[in-house]
Amino acid sequence: MGMLYEYEAKELFRKHGIPTPANKLYKNKESIDDFVKEINQETFMAKGQALAGGRGKAGLIKKVTAEEAENYIKSIIGRDHKGKPVQQVMLEEPMTIAKEYYLAIMINNATGNYHVLSSSMGGVDIESVAKEHPEAIFRQDLPIDFEPLPYQFVDLGKKLGFQGRVLNQFTSIMVKMFSMAISEDLTLVEINPLILTEDNKLIAADAKVVVDKNAYYRNKDLAQLKSQVDQYTELELEATEAGISYVELEGEIGIIACGAGLSMATCDLLEYYGSSPANFLDVGGGADREKVHKALDILSREKIKGIFINVFGGITRCDEVARGIISAKEELNIKIPMVIRLIGTNDKEGIKILEENGFHAFGEMKPAAKKIVELVKGGN
Amino acid sequence: MAILLDENTKVIVQGITGKQGRFHAKSMLDYGTKVVAGVTPGKGGEEVHGVPVFDSVKEAVDATNAEASVIFVPAPFVYSAAMEAIDAGIKLLVIITEGVPVKDSAKIRKKCKETNVQLIGPNCPGLITPGKSKIGIIPGQICMPGNVGIVSRSGTLTYEIIQNLTLNGLGQSTCVGLGGDPVHGIDFTEALEMFENDEQTEHIILVGEIGGTGEQEAAELIKEKITKPVYAFIAGNGSWVKPGKQMGHAGAIVQGESGTAKAKMEILSKAGVVTVRTPQEIPEKIKEKSS
Repeated sequence: MGMLYEYEAKELFRKHGIPTPANKLYKNKESIDDFVKEINQETFMAKGQALAGGRGKAGLIKKVTAEEAENYIKSIIGRDHKGKPVQQVMLEEPMTIAKEYYLAIMINNATGNYHVLSSSMGGVDIESVAKEHPEAIFRQDLPIDFEPLPYQFVDLGKKLGFQGRVLNQFTSIMVKMFSMAISEDLTLVEINPLILTEDNKLIAADAKVVVDKNAYYRNKDLAQLKSQVDQYTELELEATEAGISYVELEGEIGIIACGAGLSMATCDLLEYYGSSPANFLDVGGGADREKVHKALDILSREKIKGIFINVFGGITRCDEVARGIISAKEELNIKIPMVIRLIGTNDKEGIKILEENGFHAFGEMKPAAKKIVELVKGGN
Repeated sequence: MAILLDENTKVIVQGITGKQGRFHAKSMLDYGTKVVAGVTPGKGGEEVHGVPVFDSVKEAVDATNAEASVIFVPAPFVYSAAMEAIDAGIKLLVIITEGVPVKDSAKIRKKCKETNVQLIGPNCPGLITPGKSKIGIIPGQICMPGNVGIVSRSGTLTYEIIQNLTLNGLGQSTCVGLGGDPVHGIDFTEALEMFENDEQTEHIILVGEIGGTGEQEAAELIKEKITKPVYAFIAGNGSWVKPGKQMGHAGAIVQGESGTAKAKMEILSKAGVVTVRTPQEIPEKIKEKSS
């Protein structure tokens, strides 16, 4: 998931010609006078920037007067929102609302098509609208390789209740949203609410965008955005650079495994035996000595009670991995219990080497998982 | 019998001169796969492990009549390589590469549907019909011919399950890794139908994981059409899973209630599938059904 901050998403909107309210971003206690003068309104929307949802409920979005704005910004900078501090606040021009709509385009994973989800009831949680007012939800599927043109969205616009010049604004916004999604490799673009102002203009009051990280190589500007770094912890970033998938969790045993499915199954098994994983860590299908060393390096800096290494080596020689584990333990001065499961080329030799060096090593996954849980829970 | 692949399938390796392509071409040849050609643009005329290399898939198909191709090229080149294979008339296309943009995968998938090409992957370990042939990277030595069909979203977890079966004397008809990406080629339902129609297959194992709706669609189909016993393990079935966080695979992410392993296991159980909490329980469950 490569979600963008709202201000980044709105910058992308402006680049592609999708109308948004005027806004400015504040990182600390800068004076807001210039922006207040420029907008020349009595009130503003102040919006704390965060990647997790539920900003409104958390009090990070508020209508403030010019006088209140500066203090409000100060009060939410640094405030925790679901584990991450708010670092930036956006001040935005207020809108006069005639009606609110919901609009989203995404890639439907099940069909591989683009999918439009829209509603004439916007500004609220779309899932509750879908449940309580399914008649207000309108959907449209489009082939993944289609060329967006305005006529394709006339029907949808009419269903949403648009007519005349507003209908043309709507089809133009749809074309621009799709052109943006296609050229920037976005897997989700959501506008909630899309506002119809009292003077009959459609404008994106909020913006949610998810970029495809696999397409970073051809969308280099998106890859550089602050949000794409901020969504990870420092250790998660370090792991990503080393080609390791790492997600910090809340449990007690650190895991290192090969392949995403086996890593998840390893976490499951620890829970099955009454413990809990401190992380998800996948070194990839072919675990090599360097990657296992790097993974141990990362885990050695986490507060954990034990380490479980689950290697299913297809290509890699298990004796090499075993030697790597032994040297890494010494170099990194790891004192907590470790259990290793090794299977693949030269696995018996690998297990022998580990046992000779005082490690608990197994060829099967279940007894190995059971052992690490026992060790961590205080048995022998 | 078995599905999709047998000892007569002629296979092309796209990216055979790269590190991965070269290594796995050798391992496929050693297993007995008919690897008849490699393709690397600009390296036509060379040989890798005695296999002739061509500049294009068209040239390779013209020279060998190959019907399958496996792609090992880096992610930015996968789209072009896949389109080339489809245009050259390949009927079974396996994409091993990880990290393909989802838009590219979706376009490849669409073209495959339009031209009746069986697509497996991307981001998958490929498939193996034990004792006969393999396309991709599943280690042959852990497999054994038999009557259990496996369809999975995972790589190494599939190896774990195959190994457990083999150690318990349960052989496999064909093992297919669908891939860990949100948009991929053939899905659970298509593989299940193939196994249902395959005489050799008597038991079917489904290995799912968090995220997406493939397991739910599989449950629907099983209820209506599958008469053979199905066993399922869903990775990520513990309470440790964080919603909204991707677990290694791009497709392994819980968004909403339906993406959880719990929801998937419930719906599969209701469809008559034997669900297990650890992959190691599968062999005993199969033995219970067989006795």
